[in-house]
Amino acid sequence: MKPLKTLIPFAVLVAVWWGIKAGADVPDKLLVAPLAVWASFTGLVSHGILAEYASASLRLIGTAAIISFVIGVPLGFAVGTNRYAARALEGTLRFLQGISGIAWLPLAILWFGFSQTTTLTIVIYTLIVPIIFNTMTGVRAIPDNYALALQSLGAGRLRIVRDVYLPGALPSIIVGMRLGMGYGWRALIASEMLVRQGGLGDLIFGARTFGQIDRIMVGMVVIGTLYIVVDRLLVQPVETLTVARWGVLRR
Amino acid sequence: MIDRWIWRLLPWVPAAIALLAWWAWFAIEQPPASVMPSAFAVIATMADLAFGGRLPGDILASMARLLGGSALGIVTGMAAGFVAGLNRPIADFMNPLVVFFNAISGIVWLPLVIGWLGIGSPLAIFLIWNTVFFIIFQNTVLGVQLVPEVLELGVQSLGGSRWETIRSVTLPGALPYILSGIRSGLGFGWRALIAAELVGATTGLGQLIFSGAEYHRADIIVGGCLLIGAIAMAMDRWLLLPIEKRTVIRWGLVATGQGR
Amino acid sequence: MRAARLRLLAGVALIAAILFGQSLIGIATAGGRLDPVLRDSTGPVNVVVVMDFIPERFHTERLSTYGVFAGRDKTVNRVRLRMVSPENLRRLSRLVWVSTVEPGR
Repeated sequence: MKPLKTLIPFAVLVAVWWGIKAGADVPDKLLVAPLAVWASFTGLVSHGILAEYASASLRLIGTAAIISFVIGVPLGFAVGTNRYAARALEGTLRFLQGISGIAWLPLAILWFGFSQTTTLTIVIYTLIVPIIFNTMTGVRAIPDNYALALQSLGAGRLRIVRDVYLPGALPSIIVGMRLGMGYGWRALIASEMLVRQGGLGDLIFGARTFGQIDRIMVGMVVIGTLYIVVDRLLVQPVETLTVARWGVLRR
Repeated sequence: MIDRWIWRLLPWVPAAIALLAWWAWFAIEQPPASVMPSAFAVIATMADLAFGGRLPGDILASMARLLGGSALGIVTGMAAGFVAGLNRPIADFMNPLVVFFNAISGIVWLPLVIGWLGIGSPLAIFLIWNTVFFIIFQNTVLGVQLVPEVLELGVQSLGGSRWETIRSVTLPGALPYILSGIRSGLGFGWRALIAAELVGATTGLGQLIFSGAEYHRADIIVGGCLLIGAIAMAMDRWLLLPIEKRTVIRWGLVATGQGR
Repeated sequence: MRAARLRLLAGVALIAAILFGQSLIGIATAGGRLDPVLRDSTGPVNVVVVMDFIPERFHTERLSTYGVFAGRDKTVNRVRLRMVSPENLRRLSRLVWVSTVEPGR
């Protein structure tokens, strides 16, 4: 990583932003100066507000990721190893992918009310579809020879799953997780905006009600930064490490 | 022979099972309409809305926003993409910014932009433009950068100007990626549109579903969601896929089929 | 490979800091918050929670979970809480954004 070089474009952006706000007469309710946004940020941190809202969002996506993984991967395996099951479910999964998690939000609100359960359900739905789909494709891409070879040596089904399917499908599964996290984070913020039970979406939408543009911008920057952190400092390294270790069967 | 039929019918099996389970649950549990409507109720409500109700207007409003925002996104994305793709220093400079703004693309802008544009179509179009722009931009940059330099130099050595090079080599060369991007972009845009309409619109399919929640009309919500999914599939299968196939095949290029 | 491991470490550390940093700092600095008089309290007491900024609804909502909210005390950054149990007193002392907790009337 070349951290300094990556920061230069942002420095330029802030400079332009500063210039526009100082030069042209832009009212505060449209655009707020960089310094004001920074002041708002330090305030939110020292008043304990930002940590709590950010933690709420992170906890939720973490929980959803774990649940989706634990349910989605075995399901994907079960379906992927059977040609007919795969064929049956592929179209349905694609259809579900077209209905974003957010579209189901009103229904979830009807069933679970304005609660964290609603948000969790929606995010799990959003995450699990790509995971199942990618696990399926990952498993199906493994040449039958490998499984058959192990079978001919007398290995039981579980052993085959552990030594052939899991490593072979893992790169695809992780790609599915990456995609899912991208969709899921977005769905999370959107859901928090509607459900208003904590989280960064709640923070920026609430700030809207009070016209606190500086707070909205702080929230937006934090949302973007956290997603980049999760994607580049958590999911991507895991992807690199698993592929490096088991990448033999990678297409 | 029977095998082929089974193969063709399999994709419909989950839907059939779901329908059966739905009907069974409704018959046995008899949940109130606000929790889970019967399949018949959903169909009846949707038909009612379609013929003489607000549905056609909503679909039109949503599609118009999608097309407007996407068109803007495609044009700006391609323009910016070409500039960045042909110019390495610009691409390197823009990359961190693109990654960041991509991370907040779409609905995250809603609280801010509502203050600028208010509720309604301009807001939705902005959010769609935002979503589509980044996808098209990244795909265009990729496509342009991957066009083999040899081909471009070849045209230039025969006396072609820079503009001609772009038109006859770079553009067709980058096209598979761009079209792939358009296909993805419209899918994402449609999903972003629904999210945008949930909060910030007075018409449209997203708003229809949301109003369904307000009046505890689960039949409207379920019907609306299924319709959204159906439109997404139809758009992709019958509009975008053929376009991608036809142009790419016509120019004899190999499609990568990935594009995300 | 090593770069990936370093990134993973950095990512985990950052997320952990966000999730737990604030509470850890609060616990570490808990000593200076409680007024000495309150330190050995055995039953519910009335306290005044002092903050060095103007609290928002967020803060009064959180404070209400530790005792009965009883309005302001002189200035807007001093909040009265009644019937605060010793356990809640301990929790109050660990809040990073609280300046001091004084005995009330």
